[in-house]
Amino acid sequence: MLQEFEFLGVLGAITLTIPVVTLIIAWLLRPKKPNPAKQETYESGIKTIGDTWVQFKAQYYIYAIIFVVFDIEAVFLFPFAVALRQLPLYSLIWAIVFIVLLFDGLLYGWRKGALHWN
Amino acid sequence: MNELLLLSPEIVITIVAFAVLTLDIIWKGDQRSAKILPWVAFGGVVVALLATLNVWPASSSEFGIATDSAGLIPIMAVDKMALFFKVMALLTVALVGLSAVEYIEKNSPFRGEFYALTLFAGLSLMFLSSATNLVMIYLSLEFLSITSYILTGYLRRDNRSIEAALKYFLYGALASGVMLYGFSLLYGATGSVDLATIAVNLGSANVFLVVASVTLILAGFGFKIAAVPFHQWSPDAYQGAPTPITAFLSVGSKAAGFAVLIRVLVVALPAYSFNWTVILSMVAILTMTVGNLTALWQKDMKRMLAYSSIAQAGYMLIGLAAFTSQSSDNWSNGVQGVLLFLFAYLFTNLGVFAVVIVLENKLGTTNIADYAGLIRRSPFLSIALVIFFLSLIGIPPTGGFMGKLLVFGAAIDQKLYVLAGIGILNSVISVYYYFGVVRQVFFAQESDETPIQPGFVMNAVITVTMVMTLILALYGQPFIQFATDSADILAATF
Repeated sequence: MLQEFEFLGVLGAITLTIPVVTLIIAWLLRPKKPNPAKQETYESGIKTIGDTWVQFKAQYYIYAIIFVVFDIEAVFLFPFAVALRQLPLYSLIWAIVFIVLLFDGLLYGWRKGALHWN
Repeated sequence: MNELLLLSPEIVITIVAFAVLTLDIIWKGDQRSAKILPWVAFGGVVVALLATLNVWPASSSEFGIATDSAGLIPIMAVDKMALFFKVMALLTVALVGLSAVEYIEKNSPFRGEFYALTLFAGLSLMFLSSATNLVMIYLSLEFLSITSYILTGYLRRDNRSIEAALKYFLYGALASGVMLYGFSLLYGATGSVDLATIAVNLGSANVFLVVASVTLILAGFGFKIAAVPFHQWSPDAYQGAPTPITAFLSVGSKAAGFAVLIRVLVVALPAYSFNWTVILSMVAILTMTVGNLTALWQKDMKRMLAYSSIAQAGYMLIGLAAFTSQSSDNWSNGVQGVLLFLFAYLFTNLGVFAVVIVLENKLGTTNIADYAGLIRRSPFLSIALVIFFLSLIGIPPTGGFMGKLLVFGAAIDQKLYVLAGIGILNSVISVYYYFGVVRQVFFAQESDETPIQPGFVMNAVITVTMVMTLILALYGQPFIQFATDSADILAATF
């Protein structure tokens, strides 16, 4: 049992060492010429406009939740589709039941107006 | 027996819950959802109850998910105890659903989802009572928690309901995180997530790791049954939640917490490998005493019942402490007491809450002071309230008496005299606050004399729970037998 965890420990040590070593090498080699523009915080290369702690519209979250329906569907249906030839008919029925349940979730969100943007 | 047939109660509830949800969105929440959907849900629960009784004789089998190499990974067991708790879950859902009809129609624009969510919550209780695998236990507990959070915050225009849901959610997230950490440590120590295999490997496991993991797991289960010191969420959540949901939390969640606690203690960490008595006794004493002493000062009925239900969990823990101190072959004595206690508690507490719901619908308040002179406004409700309180105190002829008799009896049988003594002392203390309400009902002067007439459904719910509370004591033999049979746990595969 513990031997298997040793492997994880070694892996962890290596993954920690590589970036740290590269950072140290970069720090040793690079020229040090700081200026105000370099010190600024930026996002995607662009200076932020206004306060970054703004409120998001709650509707984004509802969209995200509806998206999870499709996400879950993909996650389970890909392996199912790959193995379809080896599976008995019985499992196809369960896959259909699964899709029907997910569809019910989508239908619910739809009828409740979650897909309606205003 | 066919596996699908063994799972038939769960399948029925799943189908009905989705049907309720779909019908609600088809009807777009008009009058039909308020009038018809409760009865669709109720019908589904009745069918599921029949399916459970159908499985009863064939039970004691286990099934799981197939793997490539080693056959089955057991995830669920259908034994007598699981079926007992499924019956409990279905009865809770049925009674809560029926007593919610008028309340929800009055307080919330969303009717259909309420019944669908209660059915889903019931479904999670049923999964939880069968789960024999740490992963399955965790999934069903999360399923139960998430539906409970939503239901607690169901009155989304009511600030108290939202506050209750948020507090419940924050405490619950922490508790399930702690419990999950315990699960992972237990898995690390024993190399298995299957309860029976854990018991086998426990002997060769690292003791410190096991003790740490068991403590963390106990904290998670303690949260669900609202045992001290993991009870702080319950008064706020109980007070703010819609009253039918308070009833559900105090009975359904608690019963499921005990189901999973008993199964983990008996199957994974049996008495001969782990000494539970001291820990459980301490938790039991704390839970009873804190619950009862705090209940003395409450002015709000729901809050008082929250503390009272904490205290009741303490009495049940006495039974658990008694059985864990026994050797492995005759542990059923304490469990049988806990099961009968839970069964009586179900009818009693749901009955009290039904009365509270009626009064809240009519008076718009849950203040104990506003119950003044109820005997002249509604003798039926007053008498029912007295009977339920007698049962909660444990005075014959009520079901609560039988439950306490068996639980304290088991403790005395195991020479846990101090524990039983403190239990009895606590029962005496509890008389004060239960009868404080009764004093208000019988002897205080009312300000309003209009009679209170509960509707047909509420009358039926209160009558059924009252009759069951009395029958459990007056004609208790079949129920004791039922509890004894139900103590059959599909324990070990070794």
